[in-house]
Amino acid sequence: MAEVEETLKRIQSQKGVQGIIIVNSEGIPIKTTLDNSSTVQYAGLIHQLVMKARSTVRDIDPQNDLTFLRVRSKKNEIMIAPDKDYFLIVIQNPSD
Amino acid sequence: MSINIPDVQGKRDAMKELVTEDMLKEVIEVYISETDSISLLDIPSTFVSVDAHDAEAIIERNNQYAEVCRNRMGNDKYVDRSMQTLNGEAKNKQVQSDSIVMVDTAATVTAWDMYDTYISPEQDETVCVPQAERADYPEVAVDTSRGAEKNMSVGSSTSSVASSLKEQEALGNGLNAESELQLIMLSEKFQHLLLVTERSILGNVFQPKLAAYRELPILEGKLISINVMIVSDSDIPMKPGTVEQREDTESPRPPAVECLWAFSCELSRGRSVSSMAWNKKYPDLLAVGYGELDSSNQKPGLVCCWSHKNPTWPERVIYCDSAVTSLDFSFNNPSQLAVGMQDGSLVIYNVQSRNQLCVVSSSECTNKHLAPVWQIRWTQQDLSLTGEEKLEALYTVAADGKICKWFICNNGLDCIELMKLKKIHNTKKKAGGNKTEKKTESVLSALSPGLCFDFHPRDSSIYLVGTWEGLIHKCSSSNSQQFLETYRKHFCPVNCIIWCPLIPDVFLSCSSDWTIQLWKQDHLNPVLGFSSTQKAVCDIKWSPKCATVFGAVNEGQLEIWDLNSSILDPVIVQPAAPGVKMTSLLFATQTDCVLVGDSDGQVTVYQLKNLTNICESGAKVINVTLANRHNTTFFLS
Repeated sequence: MAEVEETLKRIQSQKGVQGIIIVNSEGIPIKTTLDNSSTVQYAGLIHQLVMKARSTVRDIDPQNDLTFLRVRSKKNEIMIAPDKDYFLIVIQNPSD
Repeated sequence: MSINIPDVQGKRDAMKELVTEDMLKEVIEVYISETDSISLLDIPSTFVSVDAHDAEAIIERNNQYAEVCRNRMGNDKYVDRSMQTLNGEAKNKQVQSDSIVMVDTAATVTAWDMYDTYISPEQDETVCVPQAERADYPEVAVDTSRGAEKNMSVGSSTSSVASSLKEQEALGNGLNAESELQLIMLSEKFQHLLLVTERSILGNVFQPKLAAYRELPILEGKLISINVMIVSDSDIPMKPGTVEQREDTESPRPPAVECLWAFSCELSRGRSVSSMAWNKKYPDLLAVGYGELDSSNQKPGLVCCWSHKNPTWPERVIYCDSAVTSLDFSFNNPSQLAVGMQDGSLVIYNVQSRNQLCVVSSSECTNKHLAPVWQIRWTQQDLSLTGEEKLEALYTVAADGKICKWFICNNGLDCIELMKLKKIHNTKKKAGGNKTEKKTESVLSALSPGLCFDFHPRDSSIYLVGTWEGLIHKCSSSNSQQFLETYRKHFCPVNCIIWCPLIPDVFLSCSSDWTIQLWKQDHLNPVLGFSSTQKAVCDIKWSPKCATVFGAVNEGQLEIWDLNSSILDPVIVQPAAPGVKMTSLLFATQTDCVLVGDSDGQVTVYQLKNLTNICESGAKVINVTLANRHNTTFFLS
């Protein structure tokens, strides 16, 4: 448990990391380091994206499953690690 | 039977009796009996089978009737007559019924949804069971019902039912978010996801450095340019800066090292790096041992396994009882790491899993070393009998003067002594010198501490040992009484000996007397000597790619020597950061990089640039030097 907390702290302190959000399976954020409005916005939008991505991957081959999703934009990169009951979102700006 | 529809519809009150536990436990007897048969509709049939017993009478009657119908036409017996019936008054009565509520339900059935449903009946049972165990959650009843519903229908209706159940859950969920978080954080999958995420983030941060490590072309600039590079060919220069660089490569640039990154974390800060080793199977996994070498500061030691995927935190951290002095990975079991420590104990760790680390320790062995184990080596013997897997043996050399071969027995380690490093006094070796040596040995049976050893790369029964007195002994593992040869040149402890992997029979030794000596196996005097600064040389390694390049680390700087260019001066000199001493050195096997460990716990990765890769046969260089031996002076004083 302490190890997990430490890892989260380390991730938070890496260069350019803007925020970490953990969202449960219904799209409700349960842990976040960003402000409330951004968190809710990210959680809601990314939830739909992950569902769509997962559906795409599994439609092509039902035995396959989505393991990681990275969305790189001009300003930052959003990394999403999905799982059955939750997913982990990290937003990083690597050129900081 | 009549069906009663009352004119006024009354609401059926949902009267629920509170079901108590006792009532549930009560045994209630239920009697089932059959009612009388109620006939609701009876239409007798108009067909009779030909085989029935009154068939003849019926056929007779049928014929008579047909006869009558035929005779009807012109017969006086039958007269047509009309009648009119009165139609009664119609009365309208209106009845209203409840409108049937229609709800539209739709679902998208996807290929994976169907796959899940077909696959999951086996797995659903196992899924429901752990959920039922969460007894303190109010969602238990909801969950089991959801599972049951899934079993019922194939796909379409479950989504709507499930969503309504989820709404109920969400309402009651505010308090459970915390405990949900705890549950998530404890799961292994989450830790794995965190690991992957951390590596992705660090991949972004260190991308140019890691690309340089892997010798991929790098473009200076922001993320955008890197993306463009992926799309188009790297031949087309993107910016004027890169064009310049390409033109520049024609003019020779001096060899240099570029610092890429440093493996360092708060655990290792302040500890001194004592040894480093690459994994034999995964050449990107690095094990680093930390331990203070001066015995004044007895901190317990630490071993960290680093991967280039995460330069800020080690993959494995092993806390040891005493300072770590040397380590090595095994060939046959690549996850086994043998660690030698300052109190003489030898422990083999298994780094594969995070939890079970220690495999076996030498603490119960009677023959164990009582003094710091200065070097450990796994060696593959020559072809074993079957010829398939080479046998592997673990050797150590320690400050108590013994070289031991270890093997695992009865859940512990046991060793046999391979050689004792007897002290040899400075009497010159004469033809009959052996006898006098034996005499002195019997008087003074002290053993000289051994500091380093190395096995011949081709003949694994021959090895070299360096001692505290500056002597290098060549020994054979079949002869444990005598040294085959003794090489004398150093007059201070020999810190490191290493055979050249590319040129046969050539080895290097470095010592605290500020010199490095290059020897050939059958010559008792060194072929070449190197000296550049007045500091003890701690570590020395040959380059795995180029036969004439080797690196040396003394306390203040990293030196790369190239025998092709110069035998008097190192080709590259990299001074250490102020206040920090460099203590150990390792070449990377697949790229042109050097790793240097220092006394602050950092392992810095340097990339060698512009070293001429045209390596002439190193043997030629050595032989030429041998021939010119008489004419050249080697030392810079």
